[in-house]
Order: sequence, then structure tokens, then C-alpha cells
Amino acid sequence: MNELRRVMCVEDDPDIRMILEFSLGTLGAYQVCLCESGQAALSQAPAFAPDIVLLDVMMPGLSGPQTLEALRAQPGMSGVPVVFLTAKAMPDEVEELLQYGASGVIVKPFDPVSLPQDIRIYWEHRGGRRTD
Amino acid sequence: MGAAPTDDLPSETRAQFMVLQRRFVAGLPLRWLEIRDAPDSLSMRSALHRLCGSAGSYGFERIGQCARAAEALASGESAAALAQALRVLETEIGLLQQP
Repeated sequence: MNELRRVMCVEDDPDIRMILEFSLGTLGAYQVCLCESGQAALSQAPAFAPDIVLLDVMMPGLSGPQTLEALRAQPGMSGVPVVFLTAKAMPDEVEELLQYGASGVIVKPFDPVSLPQDIRIYWEHRGGRRTD
Repeated sequence: MGAAPTDDLPSETRAQFMVLQRRFVAGLPLRWLEIRDAPDSLSMRSALHRLCGSAGSYGFERIGQCARAAEALASGESAAALAQALRVLETEIGLLQQP
């Protein structure tokens, strides 16, 4: 797979999910899978087979880091880049999130026009292919 | 409506974004009630935090800034300062509800 097509978005806020769908689906022309929880992401990831995952940090139930850890344990998911979405932007907080193994951190609010290109950069930086 | 980050988009796409903006604005009074009537400071901070993250993405940076300011005060050190920040946020939300 050498093309970024499928983007999974895990976000509990319905307003953020709606703008993510507009940004990545309408503007970015990606195939988007919207999940309202970490648990939903774990259920849908095997069938959707995302090329990249955008993952909210603070969610009820499984947090972003907990979801990342569980996703990594799923077959075929260990090499999929995961980018955290967070409204916390302090450098130490960003550094802590990267320590979990994320490819990057996108700070909310984000620009819905530039987001499709932003995630492509993270995906290309990862090598543009699944590693397992 | 607030400043849209989509001004350079084709008119049809921009119109889609404006529909989303209107939907977001229509939901703000409920978000405000969730903040105002939060049973504890943790719930209030959580509601303010979510509003911080969403408002700016819809082009309403001022709402996001007000929510962030209130979130920073919601840990309870100064009830008066928090009350003032919430009044500002309520006013900003009210301004968006006007036709």
C-alpha cells in the first residue's frame, strides 16, 4: 500500500467528528472511518484497515494512549502511524504523548483545510507503507 | 459567523462548511448549559476543554479562547475570576445566537 487512502478518526466529541469528516472526507477525499470511542476503534480497525489513525487523547473509557497500546497489539496494526489529537499543547505534554509511540501530535483547534496535507506528511514521514 | 478558515475554497465546499458552522452554533447553548450546570469542577473543565478544541476548528477562535481562559480558572483558585470568565464566554456565545 503506497497511497494514503483510509483514515480512522477516534474522537468522542461529535462536533469534532463532524469537522474531521468534512476536512478529511470532503476536502481530503480520503475514506474516513469515524469512531466515537477507543473501544469502537478496536472493533472497527481490523475490517477498515486504516493507513493512519487520528486519535483523541482525552476520552471516556479507553484513553488515547490506552487505545494506541491496544491497537498496536492487533494484527497488522503495529506499523500504522497514529497521530494524537489534543487540545493540550504544552511542550512537555506533547513530548509525553510522543513517548507512547505516536507519529505526531496535532493540536486542537486545527485548520480543516490544511489537515489533509498535515496527516499526509505524517504518513509519508512514516515511509508510506505498512511495516508488517 | 466567525472568521472561516475556508475562504479560498470553491463556493459549494464553502457552503458545506457554513452549514456545519451553523449546526455548531446551534449546539452552543446546550454546551453552555453543560458548562454552567456542571456538577463539579472536573466536569466543568472537561466541557470547557472540549469547547476549546472544537470552536476554533469551526472558525470561532474567540469562543475557543474564552473557553480556554475559563478552563484555566476552573480548578477553583478564584471563584470570582472564573465567574467573570464564564460571563465573557456566555456573552460571546450569545452574540453568535443573534440573527
